[in-house]
Amino acid sequence: MSEYYNLEKMIIDFANESGPAGGEFFAAKYALKELEKYMPASVDALGNVIGEKSGEGPHILLDAHIDQVGMIVTSIDDGGFIKFDKCGGMDIRVLAAHEVIVWGKQPVFGVIVSTPPHLAKKDDEKKAKDFDELAVDIGMSKEKASEILSAGDRITLKSSHKKLLGNQICGPAFDDRAGAAAILRCLEILESHSYNCRLSVMFSVQEETGGSGAKTGGYSANAEESIVVDVSFAMAPDMPKEKCGEIGKGPMIGISPTLDSGMFSKLKKIAKANNIPCQCEVMGGRTGTNADEIQTSGNGTKTALLSIPLKNMHSGVEIIDLQDVENLAELLAAYIMKGDA
Amino acid sequence: MINQLKSLCALSGVSGREENVRNYIISQISGFAEYNVDALGNLIVFKKGADIPKNKIMIASHMDEVGLIVTYITDDGYLKFDTIGGIDTRVILGRKVYIGEDGIPGVIGIKPVHVLKDEEKAIIPDLDNLFIDIGALNKEDAEKYINPGDFAIFDSDFTEFGDGFIKARALDDRAGCAVLIEMIKSELHYDSYFVFTVQEEVGLRGAKTAAFSVAPDYAIVVETTTAADISGVSKEKQVCRLGDGAVISFMDRSTVYNRSLYDRAFDLAEKYKIKAQVKTYIAGGNDAGAIHSSGAGVRTLTVSLPCRYLHSPSCVICKSDIDEVYKMVKILAEEFANA
Repeated sequence: MSEYYNLEKMIIDFANESGPAGGEFFAAKYALKELEKYMPASVDALGNVIGEKSGEGPHILLDAHIDQVGMIVTSIDDGGFIKFDKCGGMDIRVLAAHEVIVWGKQPVFGVIVSTPPHLAKKDDEKKAKDFDELAVDIGMSKEKASEILSAGDRITLKSSHKKLLGNQICGPAFDDRAGAAAILRCLEILESHSYNCRLSVMFSVQEETGGSGAKTGGYSANAEESIVVDVSFAMAPDMPKEKCGEIGKGPMIGISPTLDSGMFSKLKKIAKANNIPCQCEVMGGRTGTNADEIQTSGNGTKTALLSIPLKNMHSGVEIIDLQDVENLAELLAAYIMKGDA
Repeated sequence: MINQLKSLCALSGVSGREENVRNYIISQISGFAEYNVDALGNLIVFKKGADIPKNKIMIASHMDEVGLIVTYITDDGYLKFDTIGGIDTRVILGRKVYIGEDGIPGVIGIKPVHVLKDEEKAIIPDLDNLFIDIGALNKEDAEKYINPGDFAIFDSDFTEFGDGFIKARALDDRAGCAVLIEMIKSELHYDSYFVFTVQEEVGLRGAKTAAFSVAPDYAIVVETTTAADISGVSKEKQVCRLGDGAVISFMDRSTVYNRSLYDRAFDLAEKYKIKAQVKTYIAGGNDAGAIHSSGAGVRTLTVSLPCRYLHSPSCVICKSDIDEVYKMVKILAEEFANA
């Protein structure tokens, strides 16, 4: 059994719960059940799962989003094929002949159509088809499809999770179920330690469609400090080095004009003092994460960003290293224990 | 036949590495027929029937499938690869693969859409720029598990869905193999040869030597053929349709078929109430290309199962078409034996 067996199981179980933006029902149900093990929790108007544990010290909010990129049904054509648009930053280049689940009255298996090469014009192979040229083949007539599916149903990429070499795993929805799992792991670590701060945890919805969940949840929490846990780009052969962390080299601590520099320094210092490997992620402005929304919600909150390096973002084969998730959880826990220091 | 097909699709057998498929087929037909394996790896089967036919009949399906082959391991431990057979780069980005005999999992990496310039967002990268990521730390780490020349297949389970449809890898042409196995296990009217060929996807190489050895008078190739009966494709470009039965070709890119055999197929389909359809677009090729021009020439016909998304990880067929293909091939074999 691997060193990270329990963590791996939690991440994969969490990632297996469907949660396309605005349709996070299954992922939220899982998040609520897990969060309630550590603190009272509830679901707000937009669907955010929010928990709070009282304390004398400063109020800290931990956030990770539980939605994932997906697609949304727009209509069913006469042949029973399901037309769709994107729901979040879906990458059209991975869609041809990809397996999907359409979340209707019941989950329906399908394959996104792919035009065979004999119908391709010169250079067609170099260009991915756009959403309006694609459809899902569910092997049903229009009548039958209409009984189970309707416009507004979400679609997710179907892809199983697999272990790669070392401590790396691949599969869909690690963005950002791995981040949410890191927070749960942090809460587990904190169970056997004492800390003084008042702790809020938010598993937020609709990050992939613009961060509405974080905006409203951040307002409700009204914390003094917020730490957003997300994923960020890991180095790969085709990636620009300056935009990437390295997989397996520890959590990435964000530094940017919008992030609080004091929290950045403290996180770095705590990582060093506790021998937790970490790397810096430098951004020139907005971070493209919930940190952007939470920072300016209500009367504002000091915000930090911790990211798990991840390859192949928004595909069905996102790759993370379990060690990075564990290290991120330990860094978070150490920060919270020092929250009143 | 569906269970047989499921077992066949679970096996890896890219061109040149068909041994798993061949061994499985041998296990299925042992006791029902005589067989031998030729120098290239073709499985050549002779099945006694009740009577000796006037003409020597050969029925062929290929065992191999399209896939990938590892060509090089980079210093960072990524695997460069080439395709085995015709694979559209559009259907391999961001997919999981299993490499070599041990099935080491890997993924075909894709640069995240976030870091692309707007004009790059619909552009499919060249095969040369793609790589497989197995999570190796570096070249030495990767070399513990992978060697150049290792093959890879796509991760795709056998899934039944919708109203009688199947999605799987390698349906091309394990569906044909399933039909042949079923025939070999059945009672035949006439002595017949069955060949399970190798290396169809890399240029019909196995069929060439198998046809030479058997030297038949008539041949029937049992295949899958591309079906484009999908959203957004006009009727005249759909080639054939799932659920409309056995597809009979008058011409493809490898063969101009014998017209009287083609006509005979539709006469018989009508007589025996078998669902059959015309392949209405000239595209693709198959073992018939090597077989019809073998020796002094072989009268050849192809009977195919319509298959959507051919050569992708997610091929789709309709279950009812398998039975129609089986009935069609069996009747045609008897007809040609006595023609």
